[in-house]
Amino acid sequence: MGDGQYSKRLAGKTAVVTGGGRGIGRAIVERFMGEGAAVLSCGRSERPDNFPREAHWIRADVSDTGDVRALGSAVERIFGRLSILVNNAGIQIEKTVLETTDEDWETLMGVNARGVFACSREMIPLMDEGGSIINIGSISGSTADPGLALYNASKAFVHGLTRSIAVDHGPKIRCNAISPGWIMTEMADAAFAVADDPEKAKRDALARHPAGRFGDPSDIAALASWLASDDALFATGQCYTLDGGLTAASPLNPCLF
Amino acid sequence: MNAAADLPLAGRVAIVTGGCGGIGRAICDRLVREGAHVFAADLVGHCGAGVNFHEHDVTSEQSTTDLMERVRTEHGRLDILVNVAGIEIELTIEDTTLDDWNRIFSVNVTGTFLACKHALPLMREAGRGSIINFGSYDGFIADPQLAAYCATKGAVHALTRAMACDHGPENIRVNAVCPGFIDTPMLQSFFGEAGDSDRLWQEARNVHPIRRYGTPEDVANLVNWLAGDEAGYASGQLWVLDGGLTAQVQQMRL
Repeated sequence: MGDGQYSKRLAGKTAVVTGGGRGIGRAIVERFMGEGAAVLSCGRSERPDNFPREAHWIRADVSDTGDVRALGSAVERIFGRLSILVNNAGIQIEKTVLETTDEDWETLMGVNARGVFACSREMIPLMDEGGSIINIGSISGSTADPGLALYNASKAFVHGLTRSIAVDHGPKIRCNAISPGWIMTEMADAAFAVADDPEKAKRDALARHPAGRFGDPSDIAALASWLASDDALFATGQCYTLDGGLTAASPLNPCLF
Repeated sequence: MNAAADLPLAGRVAIVTGGCGGIGRAICDRLVREGAHVFAADLVGHCGAGVNFHEHDVTSEQSTTDLMERVRTEHGRLDILVNVAGIEIELTIEDTTLDDWNRIFSVNVTGTFLACKHALPLMREAGRGSIINFGSYDGFIADPQLAAYCATKGAVHALTRAMACDHGPENIRVNAVCPGFIDTPMLQSFFGEAGDSDRLWQEARNVHPIRRYGTPEDVANLVNWLAGDEAGYASGQLWVLDGGLTAQVQQMRL
Protein backbone atom coordinates (compact mmCIF):
# COMPACT_ATOMS: atom_id res chain seq x y z
CA MET A 1 0.00 0.00 0.00
CA GLY A 2 1.59 3.23 -1.11
CA ASP A 3 1.34 6.52 0.75
CA GLY A 4 -0.45 8.12 -2.18
CA GLN A 5 -3.81 6.63 -1.23
CA TYR A 6 -4.17 8.76 1.91
CA SER A 7 -5.24 12.34 2.30
CA LYS A 8 -2.24 13.51 4.40
CA ARG A 9 -4.72 14.75 6.97
CA LEU A 10 -2.16 14.26 9.75
CA ALA A 11 0.53 16.30 8.00
CA GLY A 12 2.55 18.34 10.50
CA LYS A 13 1.40 16.23 13.46
CA THR A 14 3.63 14.20 15.74
CA ALA A 15 2.56 10.86 17.14
CA VAL A 16 3.69 8.28 19.68
CA VAL A 17 2.41 4.74 19.17
CA THR A 18 3.42 2.36 21.96
CA GLY A 19 4.05 -1.25 20.98
CA GLY A 20 4.23 -0.39 17.30
CA GLY A 21 6.59 -3.20 16.32
CA ARG A 22 3.88 -5.55 15.06
CA GLY A 23 0.17 -6.25 14.91
CA ILE A 24 -2.31 -3.44 15.43
CA GLY A 25 0.35 -0.99 16.62
CA ARG A 26 2.41 -1.52 13.50
CA ALA A 27 -0.63 -0.93 11.27
CA ILE A 28 -1.29 2.35 13.11
CA VAL A 29 2.36 3.43 12.72
CA GLU A 30 2.22 2.81 8.97
CA ARG A 31 -1.18 4.44 8.54
CA PHE A 32 -0.16 7.56 10.47
CA MET A 33 3.00 7.83 8.36
CA GLY A 34 0.88 7.46 5.24
CA GLU A 35 -1.26 10.36 6.51
CA GLY A 36 1.81 12.54 6.86
CA ALA A 37 2.49 12.34 10.61
CA ALA A 38 5.95 11.99 12.16
CA VAL A 39 5.88 8.84 14.29
CA LEU A 40 7.85 7.56 17.26
CA SER A 41 7.22 4.05 18.51
CA CYS A 42 8.63 1.91 21.27
CA GLY A 43 8.71 -1.67 22.44
CA ARG A 44 10.49 -3.94 24.87
CA SER A 45 12.87 -5.17 22.19
CA GLU A 46 15.30 -3.42 19.91
CA ARG A 47 14.05 -1.82 16.71
CA PRO A 48 12.50 -4.56 14.51
CA ASP A 49 14.50 -5.21 11.33
CA ASN A 50 11.61 -4.40 9.03
CA PHE A 51 10.43 -1.30 10.93
CA PRO A 52 9.77 1.68 8.59
CA ARG A 53 12.99 3.64 8.13
CA GLU A 54 11.34 7.07 8.45
CA ALA A 55 9.77 6.25 11.83
CA HIS A 56 11.62 6.64 15.11
CA TRP A 57 12.02 3.77 17.54
CA ILE A 58 13.29 3.59 21.07
CA ARG A 59 13.49 0.60 23.35
CA ALA A 60 11.08 1.21 26.21
CA ASP A 61 8.90 -0.99 28.39
CA VAL A 62 5.74 0.99 29.20
CA SER A 63 5.34 -0.90 32.49
CA ASP A 64 8.59 0.69 33.70
CA THR A 65 7.98 4.29 34.69
CA GLY A 66 11.68 5.05 34.23
CA ASP A 67 11.45 3.88 30.62
CA VAL A 68 8.31 5.97 30.16
CA ARG A 69 10.17 9.08 31.39
CA ALA A 70 12.87 8.30 28.83
CA LEU A 71 10.15 8.03 26.18
CA GLY A 72 8.92 11.50 27.16
CA SER A 73 12.46 12.87 26.91
CA ALA A 74 12.79 11.30 23.46
CA VAL A 75 9.57 13.01 22.36
CA GLU A 76 10.89 16.39 23.56
CA ARG A 77 14.24 15.84 21.88
CA ILE A 78 12.90 14.56 18.55
CA PHE A 79 9.55 16.37 18.16
CA GLY A 80 9.43 19.11 20.79
CA ARG A 81 5.65 18.81 21.19
CA LEU A 82 3.26 15.89 20.74
CA SER A 83 -0.08 15.87 18.87
CA ILE A 84 -1.21 12.25 19.18
CA LEU A 85 -0.62 9.45 21.70
CA VAL A 86 -1.78 5.91 20.93
CA ASN A 87 -1.60 3.67 23.98
CA ASN A 88 -1.49 0.41 22.07
CA ALA A 89 1.06 -1.73 23.93
CA GLY A 90 -0.72 -4.60 25.62
CA ILE A 91 -0.24 -8.21 26.57
CA GLN A 92 -2.54 -11.09 27.40
CA ILE A 93 -2.21 -14.03 29.79
CA GLU A 94 -4.58 -16.93 29.20
CA LYS A 95 -5.53 -17.76 32.80
CA THR A 96 -8.46 -17.70 35.18
CA VAL A 97 -8.19 -15.88 38.53
CA LEU A 98 -7.24 -19.12 40.33
CA GLU A 99 -4.38 -19.85 37.95
CA THR A 100 -3.00 -16.30 38.01
CA THR A 101 0.12 -15.65 40.08
CA ASP A 102 1.27 -12.39 41.66
CA GLU A 103 3.96 -12.23 38.98
CA ASP A 104 1.29 -12.55 36.28
CA TRP A 105 -0.56 -9.62 37.88
CA GLU A 106 2.58 -7.49 37.91
CA THR A 107 3.39 -8.34 34.31
CA LEU A 108 -0.06 -7.89 32.80
CA MET A 109 -1.35 -4.97 34.86
CA GLY A 110 2.10 -3.38 34.53
CA VAL A 111 1.77 -3.14 30.76
CA ASN A 112 -2.00 -2.87 30.16
CA ALA A 113 -2.93 -0.64 33.10
CA ARG A 114 0.17 1.09 34.54
CA GLY A 115 1.58 1.52 31.04
CA VAL A 116 -1.46 3.41 29.76
CA PHE A 117 -1.57 5.53 32.92
CA ALA A 118 2.17 6.28 32.92
CA CYS A 119 2.37 7.13 29.22
CA SER A 120 -0.65 9.43 29.50
CA ARG A 121 0.78 11.15 32.59
CA GLU A 122 4.11 11.63 30.79
CA MET A 123 2.70 12.83 27.46
CA ILE A 124 -0.24 15.09 28.43
CA PRO A 125 2.11 17.93 29.48
CA LEU A 126 3.79 17.64 26.08
CA MET A 127 0.49 18.11 24.23
CA ASP A 128 -1.12 21.38 23.21
CA GLU A 129 -4.73 22.38 22.49
CA GLY A 130 -6.13 19.82 20.07
CA GLY A 131 -4.12 16.86 21.36
CA SER A 132 -5.67 13.44 20.85
CA ILE A 133 -5.13 10.33 22.97
CA ILE A 134 -6.32 7.00 21.58
CA ASN A 135 -6.28 3.99 23.88
CA ILE A 136 -6.65 0.45 22.64
CA GLY A 137 -9.31 -1.15 24.83
CA SER A 138 -11.14 -4.33 23.90
CA ILE A 139 -14.60 -5.82 23.60
CA SER A 140 -13.27 -7.99 26.45
CA GLY A 141 -13.33 -4.89 28.67
CA SER A 142 -17.14 -4.92 28.54
CA THR A 143 -17.88 -8.63 28.08
CA ALA A 144 -15.66 -11.44 29.39
CA ASP A 145 -13.65 -13.77 27.23
CA PRO A 146 -13.24 -17.08 29.07
CA GLY A 147 -9.84 -17.77 30.61
CA LEU A 148 -8.57 -14.21 30.20
CA ALA A 149 -9.46 -12.87 33.65
CA LEU A 150 -6.82 -10.19 34.16
CA TYR A 151 -6.74 -9.20 30.51
CA ASN A 152 -10.49 -8.54 30.55
CA ALA A 153 -10.18 -6.53 33.77
CA SER A 154 -7.19 -4.56 32.48
CA LYS A 155 -9.17 -3.47 29.42
CA ALA A 156 -12.05 -2.32 31.64
CA PHE A 157 -9.42 -0.18 33.38
CA VAL A 158 -8.42 1.27 30.01
CA HIS A 159 -12.05 2.17 29.25
CA GLY A 160 -12.43 3.84 32.65
CA LEU A 161 -9.20 5.82 32.34
CA THR A 162 -10.25 6.93 28.85
CA ARG A 163 -13.34 8.63 30.30
CA SER A 164 -11.34 10.20 33.14
CA ILE A 165 -8.76 11.70 30.82
CA ALA A 166 -11.50 13.07 28.55
CA VAL A 167 -13.33 14.68 31.49
CA ASP A 168 -10.24 16.01 33.30
CA HIS A 169 -8.19 17.19 30.32
CA GLY A 170 -10.88 18.37 27.89
CA PRO A 171 -11.36 20.60 26.09
CA LYS A 172 -7.59 20.81 25.53
CA ILE A 173 -7.17 17.10 24.89
CA ARG A 174 -9.62 14.58 23.46
CA CYS A 175 -9.35 10.99 24.63
CA ASN A 176 -11.14 7.99 23.15
CA ALA A 177 -10.68 4.24 23.15
CA ILE A 178 -11.06 1.73 20.36
CA SER A 179 -12.41 -1.65 21.43
CA PRO A 180 -11.35 -4.16 18.80
CA GLY A 181 -13.02 -7.52 18.48
CA TRP A 182 -11.12 -10.43 16.96
CA ILE A 183 -8.32 -8.91 14.94
CA MET A 184 -6.00 -11.33 13.18
CA THR A 185 -2.72 -10.91 15.01
CA GLU A 186 -0.34 -13.23 16.84
CA MET A 187 -2.28 -12.39 20.01
CA ALA A 188 -5.52 -13.75 18.52
CA ASP A 189 -3.73 -16.91 17.39
CA ALA A 190 -2.48 -17.39 20.95
CA ALA A 191 -6.05 -17.12 22.25
CA PHE A 192 -7.32 -19.72 19.76
CA ALA A 193 -4.38 -21.99 20.61
CA VAL A 194 -5.81 -22.71 24.07
CA ALA A 195 -8.98 -24.22 22.53
CA ASP A 196 -9.29 -28.04 22.38
CA ASP A 197 -9.58 -27.77 18.61
CA PRO A 198 -8.19 -24.37 17.48
CA GLU A 199 -9.38 -24.75 13.87
CA LYS A 200 -12.91 -25.62 14.97
CA ALA A 201 -12.85 -22.72 17.44
CA LYS A 202 -11.83 -20.39 14.64
CA ARG A 203 -14.65 -21.57 12.35
CA ASP A 204 -17.16 -21.16 15.18
CA ALA A 205 -15.89 -17.65 15.98
CA LEU A 206 -16.05 -16.66 12.34
CA ALA A 207 -19.68 -17.77 12.05
CA ARG A 208 -20.55 -15.36 14.88
CA HIS A 209 -19.33 -12.31 12.94
CA PRO A 210 -22.06 -10.60 10.90
CA ALA A 211 -19.26 -9.12 8.80
CA GLY A 212 -18.26 -12.66 7.80
CA ARG A 213 -14.59 -12.12 8.55
CA PHE A 214 -12.15 -11.41 11.34
CA GLY A 215 -10.73 -7.93 11.61
CA ASP A 216 -7.46 -6.82 10.12
CA PRO A 217 -5.03 -4.48 11.91
CA SER A 218 -5.68 -1.98 9.11
CA ASP A 219 -9.37 -1.78 10.20
CA ILE A 220 -8.25 -0.52 13.61
CA ALA A 221 -5.70 1.82 12.04
CA ALA A 222 -8.47 3.36 9.91
CA LEU A 223 -10.48 4.27 13.01
CA ALA A 224 -7.37 5.49 14.86
CA SER A 225 -6.62 7.74 11.91
CA TRP A 226 -10.17 9.14 11.98
CA LEU A 227 -10.01 9.75 15.74
CA ALA A 228 -6.67 11.52 15.39
CA SER A 229 -7.97 13.74 12.60
CA ASP A 230 -9.92 17.00 12.58
CA ASP A 231 -13.01 15.03 11.49
CA ALA A 232 -13.33 13.79 15.08
CA LEU A 233 -13.15 17.12 16.94
CA PHE A 234 -16.43 16.47 18.82
CA ALA A 235 -15.57 12.87 19.71
CA THR A 236 -14.24 12.42 23.23
CA GLY A 237 -14.72 10.13 26.22
CA GLN A 238 -16.03 7.27 24.10
CA CYS A 239 -15.04 3.63 23.65
CA TYR A 240 -15.80 2.82 20.03
CA THR A 241 -16.22 -0.87 19.27
CA LEU A 242 -14.94 -2.23 15.98
CA ASP A 243 -15.77 -5.91 15.88
CA GLY A 244 -17.55 -6.82 12.65
CA GLY A 245 -20.85 -6.91 14.54
CA LEU A 246 -19.81 -9.65 16.99
CA THR A 247 -21.11 -7.98 20.17
CA ALA A 248 -24.33 -6.75 18.53
CA ALA A 249 -25.50 -10.38 18.49
CA SER A 250 -26.46 -12.57 21.42
CA PRO A 251 -23.96 -15.33 22.28
CA LEU A 252 -26.89 -17.79 22.01
CA ASN A 253 -26.86 -18.17 18.26
CA PRO A 254 -29.18 -21.12 17.50
CA CYS A 255 -27.65 -21.90 14.11
CA LEU A 256 -24.35 -22.74 15.85
CA PHE A 257 -25.74 -25.52 18.06
CA MET B 1 -6.91 12.96 -4.81
CA ASN B 2 -8.23 15.72 -7.04
CA ALA B 3 -9.90 13.79 -9.83
CA ALA B 4 -13.55 13.04 -9.04
CA ALA B 5 -13.00 9.34 -9.73
CA ASP B 6 -10.42 9.21 -6.92
CA LEU B 7 -12.79 10.57 -4.28
CA PRO B 8 -13.52 8.06 -1.50
CA LEU B 9 -17.24 7.79 -2.34
CA ALA B 10 -16.93 8.23 -6.10
CA GLY B 11 -19.88 6.62 -7.87
CA ARG B 12 -21.67 5.63 -4.65
CA VAL B 13 -25.40 6.26 -4.48
CA ALA B 14 -26.77 7.63 -1.21
CA ILE B 15 -30.16 8.51 0.26
CA VAL B 16 -30.40 10.86 3.24
CA THR B 17 -33.87 11.08 4.80
CA GLY B 18 -34.51 14.38 6.51
CA GLY B 19 -31.86 15.59 4.09
CA CYS B 20 -33.01 19.21 4.15
CA GLY B 21 -32.84 19.69 7.93
CA GLY B 22 -29.80 21.07 9.76
CA ILE B 23 -27.91 17.81 10.25
CA GLY B 24 -29.28 16.21 7.07
CA ARG B 25 -28.07 19.07 4.91
CA ALA B 26 -24.55 18.90 6.36
CA ILE B 27 -24.48 15.16 5.64
CA CYS B 28 -25.69 15.62 2.04
CA ASP B 29 -23.07 18.31 1.42
CA ARG B 30 -20.30 16.14 2.83
CA LEU B 31 -21.29 13.04 0.86
CA VAL B 32 -21.43 15.10 -2.35
CA ARG B 33 -17.95 16.49 -1.63
CA GLU B 34 -16.72 12.90 -1.24
CA GLY B 35 -18.03 12.03 -4.69
CA ALA B 36 -21.40 10.37 -4.00
CA HIS B 37 -24.69 10.79 -5.90
CA VAL B 38 -26.96 12.02 -3.12
CA PHE B 39 -30.74 12.09 -2.78
CA ALA B 40 -32.08 14.35 -0.03
CA ALA B 41 -35.46 12.87 0.84
CA ASP B 42 -37.60 15.27 2.83
CA LEU B 43 -41.11 16.66 3.14
CA VAL B 44 -40.13 20.12 1.96
CA GLY B 45 -37.08 22.30 1.77
CA HIS B 46 -34.19 23.02 -0.45
CA CYS B 47 -30.84 21.38 -0.51
CA GLY B 48 -27.29 22.27 -1.45
CA ALA B 49 -25.58 22.23 -4.81
CA GLY B 50 -25.26 18.83 -6.41
CA VAL B 51 -27.91 17.22 -4.19
CA ASN B 52 -31.08 15.72 -5.70
CA PHE B 53 -34.18 16.68 -3.74
CA HIS B 54 -36.91 14.05 -3.52
CA GLU B 55 -40.22 14.89 -1.85
CA HIS B 56 -40.71 12.16 0.70
CA ASP B 57 -42.79 11.26 3.75
CA VAL B 58 -40.89 8.67 5.79
CA THR B 59 -44.08 7.45 7.47
CA SER B 60 -45.63 6.35 4.16
CA GLU B 61 -44.74 3.01 2.62
CA GLN B 62 -45.93 4.21 -0.79
CA SER B 63 -43.70 7.29 -0.54
CA THR B 64 -40.78 5.02 0.44
CA THR B 65 -41.24 2.61 -2.46
CA ASP B 66 -41.60 5.60 -4.84
CA LEU B 67 -38.25 6.93 -3.59
CA MET B 68 -36.55 3.56 -4.06
CA GLU B 69 -38.10 3.20 -7.52
CA ARG B 70 -36.62 6.54 -8.56
CA VAL B 71 -33.17 5.49 -7.31
CA ARG B 72 -33.53 2.14 -9.10
CA THR B 73 -34.49 3.87 -12.36
CA GLU B 74 -31.68 6.42 -12.20
CA HIS B 75 -28.88 4.28 -10.75
CA GLY B 76 -30.00 0.67 -10.46
CA ARG B 77 -28.63 0.32 -6.94
CA LEU B 78 -28.05 1.97 -3.56
CA ASP B 79 -24.83 1.99 -1.50
CA ILE B 80 -25.58 4.28 1.43
CA LEU B 81 -28.78 4.99 3.41
CA VAL B 82 -28.76 7.60 6.16
CA ASN B 83 -31.96 7.76 8.23
CA VAL B 84 -31.82 11.25 9.69
CA ALA B 85 -35.52 12.17 9.65
CA GLY B 86 -36.77 12.53 13.19
CA ILE B 87 -38.98 14.62 15.42
CA GLU B 88 -39.02 15.44 19.12
CA ILE B 89 -41.97 15.87 21.47
CA GLU B 90 -41.14 17.69 24.70
CA LEU B 91 -43.53 16.06 27.16
CA THR B 92 -43.73 13.49 29.94
CA ILE B 93 -45.81 10.42 29.15
CA GLU B 94 -48.77 11.77 31.16
CA ASP B 95 -49.03 14.74 28.83
CA THR B 96 -48.30 12.67 25.70
CA THR B 97 -51.47 11.75 23.84
CA LEU B 98 -51.74 8.48 21.98
CA ASP B 99 -51.70 10.51 18.77
CA ASP B 100 -48.43 12.19 19.82
CA TRP B 101 -46.95 8.79 20.68
CA ASN B 102 -48.01 7.24 17.39
CA ARG B 103 -46.75 10.22 15.43
CA ILE B 104 -43.22 10.23 16.90
CA PHE B 105 -42.94 6.44 16.54
CA SER B 106 -44.16 6.64 12.95
CA VAL B 107 -41.43 9.11 12.01
CA ASN B 108 -38.47 8.00 14.16
CA VAL B 109 -38.99 4.22 14.19
CA THR B 110 -41.42 3.24 11.42
CA GLY B 111 -39.67 5.68 9.07
CA THR B 112 -36.34 3.98 9.75
CA PHE B 113 -37.91 0.52 9.35
CA LEU B 114 -39.57 1.37 6.02
CA ALA B 115 -36.50 2.97 4.48
CA CYS B 116 -34.25 0.08 5.52
CA LYS B 117 -36.74 -2.59 4.40
CA HIS B 118 -37.13 -1.14 0.92
CA ALA B 119 -33.45 -0.18 0.57
CA LEU B 120 -32.19 -3.75 1.08
CA PRO B 121 -33.03 -5.02 -2.44
CA LEU B 122 -31.19 -2.03 -3.95
CA MET B 123 -28.18 -2.65 -1.70
CA ARG B 124 -28.06 -6.26 -2.89
CA GLU B 125 -27.81 -4.86 -6.42
CA ALA B 126 -24.77 -2.88 -5.27
CA GLY B 127 -23.28 -5.95 -3.59
CA ARG B 128 -22.71 -3.89 -0.46
CA GLY B 129 -24.41 -1.36 1.73
CA SER B 130 -23.89 0.94 4.65
CA ILE B 131 -26.99 1.91 6.63
CA ILE B 132 -26.55 4.68 9.18
CA ASN B 133 -29.48 5.19 11.53
CA PHE B 134 -29.99 8.10 13.87
CA GLY B 135 -30.10 7.01 17.47
CA SER B 136 -29.31 9.44 20.24
CA TYR B 137 -27.49 9.56 23.52
CA ASP B 138 -31.10 9.87 24.80
CA GLY B 139 -31.48 6.21 23.84
CA PHE B 140 -29.09 5.39 26.70
CA ILE B 141 -29.91 8.00 29.33
CA ALA B 142 -32.93 10.26 29.68
CA ASP B 143 -33.38 13.98 29.28
CA PRO B 144 -36.34 15.35 31.22
CA GLN B 145 -39.69 15.61 29.44
CA LEU B 146 -38.61 13.75 26.33
CA ALA B 147 -40.10 10.38 27.26
CA ALA B 148 -41.49 9.29 23.90
CA TYR B 149 -38.42 10.62 22.08
CA CYS B 150 -36.08 8.61 24.36
CA ALA B 151 -38.19 5.49 23.71
CA THR B 152 -38.02 5.90 19.94
CA LYS B 153 -34.26 6.20 20.04
CA GLY B 154 -33.96 3.06 22.17
CA ALA B 155 -36.00 1.28 19.51
CA VAL B 156 -33.69 2.52 16.76
CA HIS B 157 -30.66 1.24 18.70
CA ALA B 158 -32.14 -2.26 19.02
CA LEU B 159 -33.22 -2.30 15.37
CA THR B 160 -29.69 -1.31 14.36
CA ARG B 161 -28.13 -4.29 16.13
CA ALA B 162 -30.80 -6.67 14.80
CA MET B 163 -30.33 -5.59 11.19
CA ALA B 164 -26.54 -5.79 11.53
CA CYS B 165 -26.89 -9.44 12.55
CA ASP B 166 -29.37 -10.31 9.83
CA HIS B 167 -27.76 -8.55 6.87
CA GLY B 168 -24.05 -8.58 7.68
CA PRO B 169 -23.50 -11.77 5.67
CA GLU B 170 -24.76 -9.88 2.60
CA ASN B 171 -22.05 -7.27 3.08
CA ILE B 172 -24.53 -4.75 4.44
CA ARG B 173 -23.26 -2.90 7.49
CA VAL B 174 -25.70 -1.23 9.89
CA ASN B 175 -24.65 1.32 12.49
CA ALA B 176 -26.30 4.12 14.43
CA VAL B 177 -24.94 7.57 15.13
CA CYS B 178 -25.97 8.76 18.60
CA PRO B 179 -25.47 12.51 18.83
CA GLY B 180 -25.46 14.40 22.08
CA PHE B 181 -26.24 18.12 22.08
CA ILE B 182 -25.92 19.40 18.52
CA ASP B 183 -26.54 23.08 17.79
CA THR B 184 -29.76 22.80 15.75
CA PRO B 185 -33.26 24.32 15.91
CA MET B 186 -34.37 21.15 17.77
CA LEU B 187 -31.89 21.89 20.56
CA GLN B 188 -32.86 25.56 20.75
CA SER B 189 -36.49 24.48 21.08
CA PHE B 190 -35.51 22.14 23.92
CA PHE B 191 -33.84 25.01 25.81
CA GLY B 192 -36.63 27.44 24.92
CA GLU B 193 -39.21 25.21 26.60
CA ALA B 194 -37.15 25.25 29.76
CA GLY B 195 -37.32 29.01 30.44
CA ASP B 196 -34.15 31.14 30.84
CA SER B 197 -32.66 29.76 27.66
CA ASP B 198 -29.51 31.92 27.40
CA ARG B 199 -28.29 30.97 30.85
CA LEU B 200 -29.16 27.30 30.28
CA TRP B 201 -27.37 27.40 26.94
CA GLN B 202 -24.13 28.54 28.61
CA GLU B 203 -24.36 26.24 31.61
CA ALA B 204 -25.18 23.13 29.63
CA ARG B 205 -22.34 23.89 27.23
CA ASN B 206 -19.88 24.08 30.11
CA VAL B 207 -20.85 20.64 31.38
CA HIS B 208 -19.33 19.21 28.19
CA PRO B 209 -15.69 18.16 28.62
CA ILE B 210 -15.11 19.71 25.20
CA ARG B 211 -16.86 22.98 26.24
CA ARG B 212 -18.93 23.41 23.10
CA TYR B 213 -21.97 22.00 21.37
CA GLY B 214 -21.62 19.74 18.39
CA THR B 215 -22.20 21.10 14.91
CA PRO B 216 -24.06 19.42 12.07
CA GLU B 217 -20.64 19.14 10.39
CA ASP B 218 -19.28 17.13 13.35
CA VAL B 219 -22.09 14.63 12.83
CA ALA B 220 -21.56 14.61 9.06
CA ASN B 221 -17.88 13.79 9.63
CA LEU B 222 -18.81 10.62 11.53
CA VAL B 223 -21.54 9.64 9.05
CA ASN B 224 -19.03 10.05 6.23
CA TRP B 225 -16.56 7.76 7.97
CA LEU B 226 -19.20 5.08 8.59
CA ALA B 227 -20.50 5.36 5.02
CA GLY B 228 -17.21 4.49 3.34
CA ASP B 229 -14.81 1.58 3.03
CA GLU B 230 -12.63 2.87 5.85
CA ALA B 231 -15.31 1.57 8.23
CA GLY B 232 -15.48 -1.83 6.51
CA TYR B 233 -15.33 -3.70 9.84
CA ALA B 234 -17.74 -1.41 11.71
CA SER B 235 -21.21 -2.90 12.11
CA GLY B 236 -23.92 -3.25 14.74
CA GLN B 237 -22.55 -0.43 16.83
CA LEU B 238 -23.98 2.70 18.41
CA TRP B 239 -21.54 5.55 17.83
CA VAL B 240 -22.01 8.15 20.54
CA LEU B 241 -20.75 11.61 19.54
CA ASP B 242 -21.34 13.97 22.42
CA GLY B 243 -18.23 15.98 23.25
CA GLY B 244 -17.63 13.76 26.28
CA LEU B 245 -20.97 14.55 27.94
CA THR B 246 -21.86 10.98 28.88
CA ALA B 247 -18.31 9.99 29.86
CA GLN B 248 -18.92 11.72 33.18
CA VAL B 249 -21.28 11.29 36.10
CA GLN B 250 -23.98 13.95 36.34
CA GLN B 251 -22.41 17.10 37.76
CA MET B 252 -23.65 17.98 41.23
CA ARG B 253 -23.93 21.63 42.27
CA LEU B 254 -21.91 21.65 45.48
